[in-house]
Amino acid sequence: MSLAAEAFVSQIAAAEPWPENATLYQPLKEDQILLSDSASSLAVQTFLRMCGLPVQVSCRANAEYMSPSGKVPFIHVGNQVVSELGPIVQFTKAKGHSLSDGLDDVQRAEMKAYMELVNNMLLTAELYIQWCDDFTATEISRPRYSSPYSWPLNHILAYQKQWEIRRKMTAIGWSGKNLEQVYEDVSQCCQALSQRLGTQPYFFNKQPTELDALVFGHLFTILTTQLTSDELAEKVKSYTNLLSFCHRIEQTYFKEHDREGQSVSSRHSKSSLP
Amino acid sequence: MHTNMAEPMELLCWGGDWDLPSVHTDSLVVLAYAKFAGAKLAVKSVDWTWRTITASVPQLHYEGSTVTEPTQILNFLRKQSFNADYELTAKQGADTMAYIALLEEKLLPALLHTFWVDAENYANLTRPWFTSHSPFPLNFFVPGRQASLALSRILLTKAESPLLNITEVEGKIYSEAKECLNLLSHRLGNFRFFFGDMPTSLDAFVFGHIAPLIKAPLPSGQLQKHLNQLDNLCQFCNTILKNYFTDATTEKRMDCSPTATHDPVDANLQKLTQLVNKESNLIEKMDDNLRSSPQHRPHRHEAKPSALASERS
Repeated sequence: MSLAAEAFVSQIAAAEPWPENATLYQPLKEDQILLSDSASSLAVQTFLRMCGLPVQVSCRANAEYMSPSGKVPFIHVGNQVVSELGPIVQFTKAKGHSLSDGLDDVQRAEMKAYMELVNNMLLTAELYIQWCDDFTATEISRPRYSSPYSWPLNHILAYQKQWEIRRKMTAIGWSGKNLEQVYEDVSQCCQALSQRLGTQPYFFNKQPTELDALVFGHLFTILTTQLTSDELAEKVKSYTNLLSFCHRIEQTYFKEHDREGQSVSSRHSKSSLP
Repeated sequence: MHTNMAEPMELLCWGGDWDLPSVHTDSLVVLAYAKFAGAKLAVKSVDWTWRTITASVPQLHYEGSTVTEPTQILNFLRKQSFNADYELTAKQGADTMAYIALLEEKLLPALLHTFWVDAENYANLTRPWFTSHSPFPLNFFVPGRQASLALSRILLTKAESPLLNITEVEGKIYSEAKECLNLLSHRLGNFRFFFGDMPTSLDAFVFGHIAPLIKAPLPSGQLQKHLNQLDNLCQFCNTILKNYFTDATTEKRMDCSPTATHDPVDANLQKLTQLVNKESNLIEKMDDNLRSSPQHRPHRHEAKPSALASERS
């Protein structure tokens, strides 16, 4: 969102409390959603649960096109529509709910830095594996992405998305990497997160923050989604404190939905953590 | 003819100017790290050679193998046991990775914009410099190619719809960059380097990114002005230049803080955070003007009634 739109949204947001019928939109869980979108969506859902704000999840085939910035997930609250974790955190802050108020400036700098690390490495790696690795793209990403549409639209949309992501990878210099290097980068990122977490329950000791929500969203999705190979999940599993971190957050915030097992996991997944 | 000593490692990078050993961010990062770790590098500049367009700079040659990209080169140097991060704890190593990601996501787009996309800077500083340091006939192509690479990188990573225009993205990337600089200043505090008294790879990365911004004589540099107010970052940069690159700098010591007062770091930062907020308001007004122009889709319904009202009356 541009600065003007952000300022405008904050002003209006501060005026009303959080309504009961807030909705989060994401692509279809069973057939359409991909790893990276599922991770982002789970991060937002976790963040809202941590704030104690109720939200209903609604799956739509055209969620990506409904979103104001073209990215999923987005939330529809009152008469505003906000997409992506960063703006949603600011939006909830304007409504008076914030998880990172207790942090001092240096800690806030660290939190932002680690969130950028996750976005820069984990999210980019997920996008690379989905769209730049030919095997995964052909077997999983393209069929899933275009499943709600009929021929020839499904081919066109899938290739368009693939081309767009590949252009982005070239611009940031990831197109020269091969799959092994990407897995290595993921491993290093997880090592950094694991070392930062140490033995604490959350990244900033007692209280969860948006960083915890973001990390949980990505790691849980990686662990519970089946791709063409299990190597990505294996990389994450080798860090035991990250595994227990994910278990803990799942137990604390998603316990009541465990029996249904639907809202947290997606079709290509095993429904609970190994 | 072989000698007993192994051949020194050879680094290809862009040449230096404005008191810096190199004007290129990535080259500076590698040069700084090599000095910190005590690695001897034979530095060859690609200026005035055909390598300005063929080589991806910086590039390290050693015993037949070639390494590019600053992160890869630093890893390579570490494997050769030139490790400036030896004394860091595991958590500090993790922090290093996180802050480097922050630099790349938040500060780099604005740096690219300042040097390569901003029309005044590009026409008056960047293009003439790179043109004069490239051989004929490459001097026609090199700056333009770098500029279009920079622009496409900014647009692809930062310009999500509806911000499809570079002018709309500008406000966003500059405010993010200023916030990033404030965060770095908070983190550095009153220390000499980011992790105590010895410089590490994070110091090399931060130095590589902010040194050109501090030293280059930019005609229009709002980001430069913001950075000059962060005393501790200027001090950090000058310390590194003085202690590690003395042969490259001239006698002229640049006084980088225009305000000669001794404001403590905290008060300065608070002032700057307020400045950033004020800037956001100004940019909001600027955005208002952009939004009311007919080519842009109106996003705010408030803007429309007043425009319609004035049309009707």
